[in-house]
Amino acid sequence: MNWNKWFRTALIGGSIVLLAACHSMHKNSYDPNAVNDANAAYNNGNGVQTAGLHRTGNFNDQVNRNGRSSTLVSNRIYYFDFDSNIVHDSDKPAIAANANYLIAHPNAKILLEGHTDPRGSREYNIGLGERRAKAVAELLRANGVSPSQIRIISYGAEKLALQGHTESAYEKDRRSVIAFLQS
Amino acid sequence: MLRKLISLSFFFIALFISYPASAMLSLELTRGVAGAIPIAIAPFALQDNSSTTDVSDIITNDLQNSGRFKVYGRHALTVVPSSLAEVQSNYFHRLGADDLVIGKMKAVGAGRFQVSFQLIDIVNGQQTLSSQNVILNRSYTVSSDELRTLAHHISDLIYQQLTGIRGIFSTKLAYVVVQRPDNAPAQYTLEVSDQDGYNPQPLLTSPDPIMSPAWSPNGKQLAYVSFENQRASIYIQNVENGSRYLLSQFPGINGAPAWSPNGKKIAVVLSKSGSPNIYVMDIGSHKLTQYTNDWYINTEPAWSPDSRFLLFTSNRSGGPQIYQITLASGNVSRVSYEGDYNARPSFTSDGSRISFIHRESEAYQIAIQDLDTSALRILTNAGKDNDSPSMAPNGSMILYDTIYNGRSVLAMVSTDGRVQIRLPARNGEAQDPAWSPYIS
Repeated sequence: MNWNKWFRTALIGGSIVLLAACHSMHKNSYDPNAVNDANAAYNNGNGVQTAGLHRTGNFNDQVNRNGRSSTLVSNRIYYFDFDSNIVHDSDKPAIAANANYLIAHPNAKILLEGHTDPRGSREYNIGLGERRAKAVAELLRANGVSPSQIRIISYGAEKLALQGHTESAYEKDRRSVIAFLQS
Repeated sequence: MLRKLISLSFFFIALFISYPASAMLSLELTRGVAGAIPIAIAPFALQDNSSTTDVSDIITNDLQNSGRFKVYGRHALTVVPSSLAEVQSNYFHRLGADDLVIGKMKAVGAGRFQVSFQLIDIVNGQQTLSSQNVILNRSYTVSSDELRTLAHHISDLIYQQLTGIRGIFSTKLAYVVVQRPDNAPAQYTLEVSDQDGYNPQPLLTSPDPIMSPAWSPNGKQLAYVSFENQRASIYIQNVENGSRYLLSQFPGINGAPAWSPNGKKIAVVLSKSGSPNIYVMDIGSHKLTQYTNDWYINTEPAWSPDSRFLLFTSNRSGGPQIYQITLASGNVSRVSYEGDYNARPSFTSDGSRISFIHRESEAYQIAIQDLDTSALRILTNAGKDNDSPSMAPNGSMILYDTIYNGRSVLAMVSTDGRVQIRLPARNGEAQDPAWSPYIS
């Protein structure tokens, strides 16, 4: 049957495309440059710069497969109010999108950083920073991410986003950051 | 060509490892004591010009910067005696000095110097002084690179003689320098310098943060937290030979190391249970004893001088407050009540008072509290970001970091609040300081 033959051709062709896609995805996953780019995204630009994973095509496929939003997936910095470890509702879609990426990529591993503004005691700030990172980790886990994919580190006030001692700088300092150790 | 390349690469290596020979920190007395002890320090007679280190100038700076002396030094004196027979007491009476330091320095060969000094009581002196007026009279032979250390030692002797308190001029400071070059990653350096900021030596350089240096009671080792390899770990490093070993690298926080007074244990903060809690680790066996066990933030343990108590910071009542663990029973009691933010406690050397960070009117200040009366006194009055207080071994001064002209700098305040000193870094930011114990 023509239709059957067409279907078979389409199936084989589609498989090749899929395989190719998988292959390129696999290659990207272990491309150290991609990991470095991802990590550099928050190291440069004083921590306020966000950047994508440089393969949004694959990323969107994964997100769409779960029938969830694919927006804000590149947002990996979440800000907190003064003396608070409550994640803003506006950050939850981005955290869910990152959760979906991690679920779809079980080999992916993240370092979840917690940060505070520079005011007050350094070691107490280490404690506060850990609470912020844990709040994001809890949301990732609630979305189904395996705890083995998440490592938490609190830098407290030791890696400020901005060096100024103003309220606007402090707002950028109080954050949790997802850094991909392995994409 | 190869030779040229080699010499060129040596040049670059030298460029990278060269370290500023001058003081990293420069000491500025910002406020001294009214009614300080007036003392004249005559420039020491130098037999030849073979030394570039002027011992009497260092003594002058030490005593001046302690805030407890009014020093008449090189620029104030028109008469410069170097032996008792040359001292005209009338001149020093008119000047208003109570005491006089004179001395001599001469090269004795092989790069060594003989230094002698005398501390002379002027206020009780007659027209002609006799050996009765000589309070201290010492002589030393040292190598040229020991002259600074000797000068600090002489300052210690004079300070103790005239105030009754052991001097701290021979102690060291450990602190973290952060360099943030434009368009390059930050660099963190753990440094140790003399108490006056001279002779800075790097102990550890890292692209990742270093924090919470803590001196062992004998002053030979430093424990600190390093974030190298993106983990918080506690290391113990030998200050003299630079060798180090990993003490603690549990998952999560490894922080706030504090040596027990006998140097056999270290109190640490670990969050391996899920939240930061206070533990005491036996350094020899690495055995842990847990002292807090809850879901709050418990951190910054500090030993009492008698080893019976640990102070710590906890937010179990809301904001951070100071608590005390009785080690024998494990009982915990609250120590600070004033204000909604009190953190980073430490005892004075006699155990009668504690200092900590106290927030008042949005400003973080260094405060001291009497443990008997609970009376709290704020010692700092400049800036809003005073942090990381560390007590001098004689309990007279507190070292801390503060923001000055937009940069983190080290500063000192006396525990009576009357003397204030700033030690700005020449470059970069200096932070998270720890005052050494007596190093003898």
